[in-house]
Parts: sequence; C-alpha cells; structure tokens
Amino acid sequence: MFIESRELVMKHKIPVAKTSKYWQGLEEGKVYKTVCRNCGRAHYPPRAECLCGGEVKWVEIDEEGVVEAFTVVYAIPRGFEWSKPYTIAIARFGDIRVMGWAENVKVGDKVAIKTGKDESGVWKVYFEVV
Amino acid sequence: MRVGIIGVGCSKFGRRDDVTIQELSYEAVKEALDDAQLTQDDIELSIVGCVGTRSYELMPAVPINEYCGFTGKGPMRVEAACATGSAAVYTAYTSIVSGVADVAIAIGVEKMTEVDTPTSLAIGGRGGNYLWEFHQYGTTFPGYYAMHASAHMAEFGTTEKQLAMVAVKAHRNAAKNPKAHFQKEITIEDALGSRYITYPLKLYDCSPISDGSAAAVMASEEKIRELGTDDVVWIESVGYGSDTSNMTNRESFVGLKASVIAAETTYKKAGIDRPVEQLDMATVHDCFTIAEIMAYEDLGFCRKGEGGKFVESGESDLGGKLPVNTFGGLKAKGHPLAATGVAMVYEVVKQLRGEAGNLQIDLKNYRALTHNVGGTGHFAFVMIFGR
Ligand SMILES: [Zn+2]
Repeated sequence: MFIESRELVMKHKIPVAKTSKYWQGLEEGKVYKTVCRNCGRAHYPPRAECLCGGEVKWVEIDEEGVVEAFTVVYAIPRGFEWSKPYTIAIARFGDIRVMGWAENVKVGDKVAIKTGKDESGVWKVYFEVV
Repeated sequence: MRVGIIGVGCSKFGRRDDVTIQELSYEAVKEALDDAQLTQDDIELSIVGCVGTRSYELMPAVPINEYCGFTGKGPMRVEAACATGSAAVYTAYTSIVSGVADVAIAIGVEKMTEVDTPTSLAIGGRGGNYLWEFHQYGTTFPGYYAMHASAHMAEFGTTEKQLAMVAVKAHRNAAKNPKAHFQKEITIEDALGSRYITYPLKLYDCSPISDGSAAAVMASEEKIRELGTDDVVWIESVGYGSDTSNMTNRESFVGLKASVIAAETTYKKAGIDRPVEQLDMATVHDCFTIAEIMAYEDLGFCRKGEGGKFVESGESDLGGKLPVNTFGGLKAKGHPLAATGVAMVYEVVKQLRGEAGNLQIDLKNYRALTHNVGGTGHFAFVMIFGR
C-alpha cells in the first residue's frame, strides 16, 4: 500500500558571474581555461581565483587533444530524455583535461575541441576525431 | 584507546516496498541492540548516515532517530555518498576516542526505490560536480565507472570477461545470503550477454538499486570491560582518503587515489604490508565490477594492472587466499548507499566471530578489512578489524 507524496519541482539558478567569459566563449565556439599569472597553474574547469592568491588570465584551448576515457550512456538519466544514447569523453589538452560529448571515439584517439548547443539548448564542448 | 564493535544488525536488502525509511532503520537497529544485549537507554550518541534525496524524507535523521528510540542522543547526520556508512562508523569511532561518548551507534540506511530509475540516475549523476559534469554532459554514476573501465581496459588489456567474473563470484556468494537483494547464481554467459547500461559496463556489471539498513553498536574498551561483553571485534585502524569532485582533475583513471591513500594510512597504523597473507578476508567496494578490480590493485592485493588476473586466479573466491565480498558484495547483495559501509562492518564482524554459516571463511589471522568508496573515488575509507 502506498501514498503518493506531494510533488516538489526543483530548478536552481546557478550563479556563473565569475566564469561568464567561459559561458560566453562556448557560444562563440571557444573553450577557455584559466592560467595563474603568479604560479602558472592552469585551471579547468576554469576558476577566477587561483589558490595561491594570484590573478588568472583566460586562455583559449585550441590545441589537439587525446582521449583518455569515454563511455556510451544507454541508461539515460532524467533531464536527458530527449537524447539518443550519447558518448561522454575526457581528453587531455596539454596541462589540463576537458570533458565533452563525442562520437565513435576510443582511448588514444586524437580530437579537436569544438562547442555546440544540444537539443535542450545547453551549450557545451564537443570533440571531433581528427 | 581501543574501540570495539559489540553489536551488529542488517536488514534484508532489496526492493522494500513494505517499510518507510524509519521502519527499515529500526530493523537493523533492533538486531544490533539485541546482539549487543543493550537497550536504547545504554546508547549515548547516535550517528545517522543517509545520502537521502531518493526517499521522501529529505531531512531523515530526526525521523529515523525518533523511530529508533534515540531522541535526545544525537542524531548526528553524516553524508559521504556511497561511503556514508563508513563515515557513520568513522564518526562514532572518533566520538568514542575523543571521549564524547562511551557507547555509540552507527546507523546507515537508504531507501532508493521510492523514485523511478531515470530519476535515480539523475541523482547519482550529480555525485561529481553538477555544473561542469551532469548539467552539460549527463554523467551518470555507472557512466563515471565506465570511463574508468575504458581507461583500465586500454592500458592493461582488462577484458569484459574478467569484469563478468567479478559478477559471477558476487552472485555465487549472494545466493547463500538470505539478506541479499539477489539470491541467484549467474553464468559468465549471462553476464556477457546482458545489455549495455553504459559502455563498457553491462547490466550484470552494475549493482542494483536497493533499499536496506545496517547498524553497529560501538563502545570504548573501558566501557566494554564494565559491560562484561566477551565477544568483541576491535577496530584496529581507520584510514580516510578523498579526491577532486571533477573527474577531469584526477591524476589517473586506472585507479582511485582516495583508496590508495586510505589503505596506506590504515595499513601503516595496523602494521600491514602483505594484506593477502595478513588478512583473512576483505569487503571491497564493488558498486561496479571494474571497481572491484581497481580495488584489488589500489589495496595492494596485486600489482596495478593485474586486478583482472587476480579475479581469474580464484584467490578472491570463498576458499581462495583472500576471500573478497563473501556475502555477495554491493554487486549482488545490493548497494543501499549509506547502508553499505555499515553492512560491510556487519559482514566482517559475523565472519570474525565465526557466525557466517555456509559463507564462513577459515580464520587464522582473525583480521579483516573493509573498503568503502564514496562517489567515484571522491571519498574512501579503509578499516582493519580484528578479534
Ligand atoms: Zn596561482
């Protein structure tokens, strides 16, 4: 025997003011990391303040990457009902790694970094095998 | 100061449509109190581990505490994703060591089946860093481990068949455990022929979505002497490790650094340098088959990259050199998140006391290990128990 709970819909407003350069970059086809002007450490996901206290600069990731891990998601989570099975990959670009969507990749593949808008209207990183 | 486990309880795992989260908690609590021959009056502090969000009580600690009869004694709620149970045991342990309480109970409970599977996947997929992972890329909990599997397979040639062998072993043990979610054996062919959940992990590579609870009553050595308890399993050492929320920021994908750190810490304290020879059994965190293979390596049961061969060798079977997950593991016993770490303690205590029935291992060192990972290596606890 069950009682149905009252419905609770949660949709959060995520503040991205400090990383707005990144989110705007995606819409211009650019993927940015941050690099500390003081200690030289690179940050991805980008952060606007380095742990050393140094100031960061925004640097475009435009070199070739190498896939280090991937999966093809068949059991689709709530929020992605609109999608067919999708591939998530993690690729290394020099001193940082980036997560993105890809097609027909395997570990070791060389990829180019792109951006795009998915069917739900969210901008993100895509990889293309080169 | 030494801390001992004097009572343990564990509910039947599985789809538990018959109980609320409070009622489910009490099943384990009652068994643990009876086992310790104590009542609620004897408990000074309750630690409630619950990840929550999949069950209707979003702030479940107080309702659970009230139903179990511990009002006014805690509750202290802890959360460390899938390692929440160990976080509860760890918190009870440190509370006793610090003198805050002489007798404490660690409760781990999870009700996961009150929401549907896509919702459960979307909650688990938030186990990393929401904005940079799930929001954009739809990461799922099986998906994170599948990415580790892809890297492990590429670097070491680990095969889908070796992954399947972990599942077959788990089901073989769970078939003899009446509290397990699944009580049926499977074949390698069943496992290899099942559908992909998230490549390269198939249905039988994944632990089920389960409800369940477990509890452990713990006390200081002085209190144990005062109570006159004679059958005590001692916590010899505890180790803890953690890692980044973003998977992209990990050092490597072929293992979990948090597990390595937790193991090094606990081994050093317990004087363990040859775990396979010095321990009688281990419970490792096998939420997915690849997780058990990485655990063998990260815990030093074999060299890095040889986890697949270790399961093939049969050394982790019942009757092997170091039986692993004798009650069926998360894979087949079930993985009600916060219950898991405490249920590992339940398993180790039952084994070390010689009360494991037809799953009983041979005891020679009277020492055993629990390894419980939260998220995809975001947290890890490794503890050594002895009798
Ligand atoms: Zn810096």
